[in-house]
Amino acid sequence: MKVFFATDIHGSEVCWRKFLNAAAFYKADMVVLGGDLTGKVMVPIIAHSGYWKVTVRGHEHRLESQQELEQIQRQIRNSGSYPAIVSPDELATLSAEEGAVDRRFTQEMTQSLDRWLDMADGKLRGGEIPCILNGGNDDIFEIDDIIEQSPCVRFGEAKMLDLDGFQLVSMGWTNPTPWNTFREAPEAELARKIDQVAGQITDTGRAIFNFHAPPYGTGLDEAPALDENLRPMHGGAVMKPVGSTSVRDAIRKYQPMLSVHGHIHESRGVKRMGRTLAINPGSVYGDGVLQGAVLELNPKKGKVTKYLLVNG
Amino acid sequence: MATSAVGGETPTLFLRNATGLVRGWSVRDSMIYACMATNFVTLAIYEFAFAAPAFPQGQLITSVVISGIWVSFLVVAYTGLVVTIPRAGGDYVWQTRILGSGLGFVMAATGWWFILWLWAPIYGNILSVQFFEPIWATLKWTWPGGGAAWFGTHNGIFTVSLITIALAGLLVSIGMAGYARFQKWCFYGGLAGFAVIVILLLINSHATFISSFNLEAHKLFGISNAYGATTAAAAKAGYVAPHIAFGPLGPTLLLVPVMMFFILWPNWGATLYGEIRGASDVKRVFSGMFGGLWITVALTIAFLLLAAKTFGWAFYQDSNQLNFLAKGVLPVWPYPVLFAGWLVHNTAFQVILILVMSLWFFGWVGTLFLSSTRVIFAAAFDRVLPDRAAEVSEKRKVPFYSLVLMLLPAVGLSAVYAYNTTFVKYTYDATLVIAVTFLFSAIAVVLLPFVKKDLWRASPASRVKLFGVQVVPAAGWVTIGLLVFNLVEWLSNDNYYVNLHSSLIFMAALYALAIVVYVVARIVRRRQGIDLSLINKEIPVE
Repeated sequence: MKVFFATDIHGSEVCWRKFLNAAAFYKADMVVLGGDLTGKVMVPIIAHSGYWKVTVRGHEHRLESQQELEQIQRQIRNSGSYPAIVSPDELATLSAEEGAVDRRFTQEMTQSLDRWLDMADGKLRGGEIPCILNGGNDDIFEIDDIIEQSPCVRFGEAKMLDLDGFQLVSMGWTNPTPWNTFREAPEAELARKIDQVAGQITDTGRAIFNFHAPPYGTGLDEAPALDENLRPMHGGAVMKPVGSTSVRDAIRKYQPMLSVHGHIHESRGVKRMGRTLAINPGSVYGDGVLQGAVLELNPKKGKVTKYLLVNG
Repeated sequence: MATSAVGGETPTLFLRNATGLVRGWSVRDSMIYACMATNFVTLAIYEFAFAAPAFPQGQLITSVVISGIWVSFLVVAYTGLVVTIPRAGGDYVWQTRILGSGLGFVMAATGWWFILWLWAPIYGNILSVQFFEPIWATLKWTWPGGGAAWFGTHNGIFTVSLITIALAGLLVSIGMAGYARFQKWCFYGGLAGFAVIVILLLINSHATFISSFNLEAHKLFGISNAYGATTAAAAKAGYVAPHIAFGPLGPTLLLVPVMMFFILWPNWGATLYGEIRGASDVKRVFSGMFGGLWITVALTIAFLLLAAKTFGWAFYQDSNQLNFLAKGVLPVWPYPVLFAGWLVHNTAFQVILILVMSLWFFGWVGTLFLSSTRVIFAAAFDRVLPDRAAEVSEKRKVPFYSLVLMLLPAVGLSAVYAYNTTFVKYTYDATLVIAVTFLFSAIAVVLLPFVKKDLWRASPASRVKLFGVQVVPAAGWVTIGLLVFNLVEWLSNDNYYVNLHSSLIFMAALYALAIVVYVVARIVRRRQGIDLSLINKEIPVE
């Protein structure tokens, strides 16, 4: 069975479209998206009478036509941001009222995901090509139900999914980060969550871990060391492991055939941990490039026979 | 959810708290990095000992300024690449994305890995002449046989090369965390050491230097009137040092390819840029590299002017010329730091000054070889090299196999460098091969707006314009001009020793090796059912 795994597309619509096309492109039997689907940035497009104004990457645009508006919306979505059309009054409210930005962010994220899932229906032949989605630490909890209700994709979080004899278990939670995001837990709690989901596995020889956090100290979790102001230290030259010890210990304990991860975008790599092949394909969603892993799994031997990290 | 607004009273975007949203690193840090890479002590002063003899009519200061201006365009071109595709991996990532996988691998493997094998003995030689020789001479140590002069022998050069390789391996194994902190202290310590030299050369007259030089040369080596003997020996060898002037431009331009040995590397840190928001800031990225480059230019010019004032320009050039001809009056390399230290007649002071100035070497040598392991890892993850090449020992986190691939050939090449009297002249090969890699990145800059249209349109670099012309691709053209000029000169002018038959064979062998590795990988992986051509093939969007 051939699997395509990608992760951390962070709202990039061009990466989502590529993900939907990946099964056909790589001739994969199944596609898995490992979490952090939602974006981090919302760009207000201010609607005036007869025109719109928006600043994209420091450059102010005045949009005179619907066509120009759609073009800039597409550009914003492709970069992983959410275009939010607001009136000058709404913008003032967003700036002034506590919680207003949160609410608008949530609205944009959920609406965007709805749209994405509509696109998926056609591309994945109504669920004929198995597609597993999962949350990541940066994803709001509201997305879980939306994915659950989609007829063409399956939501993996905290479940054991049987996929042609392979047992896929998923978890979007990570160890704590400096950003205090949604799905973070101390290592002890994370270990409990992992045991709960991994405990459902009946055949570790055919098990696949889809854990957002990479295992600690494996080279799949190297991020720039930051000072107390979240500024990279020593010109970004110093990297440090920031992965999860619970994930590392679980891989050592259960020894699944494959363990796929994300979370640390700059730490693209592969690591053998006993009989487990651990992979983090990394992410460069901002470039519109979908990094991923093409994996060939042998059900009889219960092993990964081939793998290739790709920049699609 | 924690959020923040950017843009003041009328926000232009809203950010929510999410992983990876870090502040840009300080410009000062990247400036230090660029300054250490274009190392004016370890590389420039070392290089000047060969520059004047090769092109006696050329003007060092003018060529440094011309090189600085020209390399500034390379800084602009690389800034464009960094802010458009801000990925750790630098040239390898840009070239594989824009020019193709095979070319990207060959250029990265030769420029960031294979040629570093030659840099190992070159750095060994620098360590010899700027650290061991002057320390041994100052302390009058006679072990091993011959004392300081032993470090200039075949065995001495090879031994110090091995020390350099071991040091590089150790620093890579330790990791950058501790070393980066040490590196910063080295920069400030090195600057303090240079400040002392500036003061010494400013407050002492030419006459004082002559008497100090003669006194210390006699005390350490038993040579009488060493200053006069040096100028006399140069005259006898038929060398007439030029006066400091602006030109002539022709021979001065021929010094530009020589200057590349130290001034071409302000972009060395470009391989380190990862997914950091600050890296999208054109000004910040540019300022770091540009500042580092011009600090080096300023320090170099200050040093040369002060050397001219106190040592005497003709004497400085004579010393270099005689060393080049192996007819030096002193039995050690003409290290200006050693000479400046002689202005204070105190052995402890002289040793401390040499030690402090050696921080320019020790603060950089580890980073130089770190790039090789990065390329080896990237190639292994791309399945071009065996998986093992990227293995890191679990306990000690040592990348054992990549160290072997990096350091073992360096040991072999160090032996050739130390014991083959011709090979030692191929210093510019080490610069040329990296320059070729940079050339392809410059070509990538020029092609970027056409090959990756959407990426370029979205890049802040595309909006940097002068008189309506996009600055970054234009800078790419100027950089191509710089690198092609250097390549033509290196390959056509005998004085660089690059176009010697065996030198050309050596460099061709490096490219052949990279091509063979890539082709074999393609064949082997195809047999295994893995199609390497898929690595950078873009998935259709619609």
